[in-house]
Amino acid sequence: MTGLAAVEVVRAGLCDLVVDQGRPGHEHLGVPRGGAADPAALAVANRLVGNGANAAGLEVASIGPALRFPQGGTVAISGACFSATRSRDTGVRWNETLLLEPGEILDLGAAREGCRCWLAIRGGLEVPVVMGSRSTFLPAGFGGLEGRALRHGDVLRLGEAAAAQRLLRAVPLSGRNDNCLRVVAGPQAGLFDDAGLAAFFSETYRVASASDRRGLRLKGTALSRAGTELPSQGVLPGAVQVPPNGQPIILGWDGPVTGGYPVIAGVIRADWPRLAQLRPGDAVRFATIELEAARALAAAEWEIGGQA
Amino acid sequence: MDLPQERIPDCTGWRWVTDRGLRLQTGSHTLARYQLLISRNLPEVESVIPADDSILLVLRSGVGISAGLRAAVEMPLDLRPQAESRLHRIVVSYGGKAGPDLAALAERAGLSQQDWIAQHAAAEYRVAFLGFQPGFPYLAGLPEKLRAPRRAEPRVRVPAGSLAIGGSYAGIYPESGPGGWQIVGVTDVVLFDPRQSSPALFAPGDRVRFAAR
Repeated sequence: MTGLAAVEVVRAGLCDLVVDQGRPGHEHLGVPRGGAADPAALAVANRLVGNGANAAGLEVASIGPALRFPQGGTVAISGACFSATRSRDTGVRWNETLLLEPGEILDLGAAREGCRCWLAIRGGLEVPVVMGSRSTFLPAGFGGLEGRALRHGDVLRLGEAAAAQRLLRAVPLSGRNDNCLRVVAGPQAGLFDDAGLAAFFSETYRVASASDRRGLRLKGTALSRAGTELPSQGVLPGAVQVPPNGQPIILGWDGPVTGGYPVIAGVIRADWPRLAQLRPGDAVRFATIELEAARALAAAEWEIGGQA
Repeated sequence: MDLPQERIPDCTGWRWVTDRGLRLQTGSHTLARYQLLISRNLPEVESVIPADDSILLVLRSGVGISAGLRAAVEMPLDLRPQAESRLHRIVVSYGGKAGPDLAALAERAGLSQQDWIAQHAAAEYRVAFLGFQPGFPYLAGLPEKLRAPRRAEPRVRVPAGSLAIGGSYAGIYPESGPGGWQIVGVTDVVLFDPRQSSPALFAPGDRVRFAAR
């Protein structure tokens, strides 16, 4: 025991993962960057509790955990709104500093809309740094807490906060919430015939249930293309691959670093916050954006100030 | 707020993979261009991912593309033999239960299993790139006669350490899991351990030789 505070998992959610800003620079070894699906949302939650932007927090998907804070704690939640409750006090507000009393239980409940939220706890989650990051990489079972999602009975140790505690509130400035993902053309867009490209940009696709942080599988009009196998090429999150069955896959944060399927388009970095909130059954459309415009967009913009 | 200004390069063979990845067509000089790019420490480059005949440069958000990057991409390559890269010697148990596809591959090649193994172990391989799983090497240099397409039905579980053939590549599965390559043997080397300071046994450009146990 280090004497630092701890948090107990009273009930695990569907897939609660310890994440930070990811482990860039290891793709040539076959390891994707990973990390929070919406890095800016985690960074803002960290800032609300006085942590450094790269402190580890929890990424929670669809159904969240119930966490007990024996010594109390300072937390903040960003991302999709969940039906969260806490032992004392009435509501659980998003995007602001929350003070939990000793022994309180924070139950994140279920997502009201969207899919993921991020919980930052003052001090940050103290798990070993593996390849430069505390992020869980589920496909290979390392990082985070023993390379896996949280379980009932887990105890999460906390580190030390970077900054003095203040009560802050954050407001997301870019709140577009339609189902349209902005893309730039992919390197193999030319392999698809006019009908295929027209379908991709005009049809609505549905997120299939077999979707996770490795990739969002889509269901809809099949995209036919010329040729069969391609040489393997480097890929990254947001790349839209089309396997032989013609049903597109948007590669996710823990997806492969190389792939042999043609890439028809790529979801831009600024739309990661929306990718992160898609869940099975959701409708998705694609619209093009100019590359220069895409790269000029900030990933996400927040305004942070004192709490009213 | 000032947005970062940048000129988007338009060199032949440059393609974008999302708005963060610049894909360079590198043909048969992928490894040489990869070595040159990683030696430059370019500030806007987050990662360099070599693959078959292309390289993907993952670019940091909000950082413009420098003249240095453009130069490193267009600079003629020094293709004279470089200092010899690392050589790994890997001992393999070929065939039997650990290599369930060896018999069919030998028959396909018109070789006895012994001759197939001898030809496989006589070749020198080079790590072209890693992918699929952490630490999974795509080994170039497989003799033409030994090449074979992937299995029509991928296996649900391929044991860790399995030596496999996929098209023109040999590979080794670092972890057990699903896999579609033809399995010809097994090795007990550890290919990937994220707790080590060098997590992957192989790096792009390394040389590999196999020996039958």
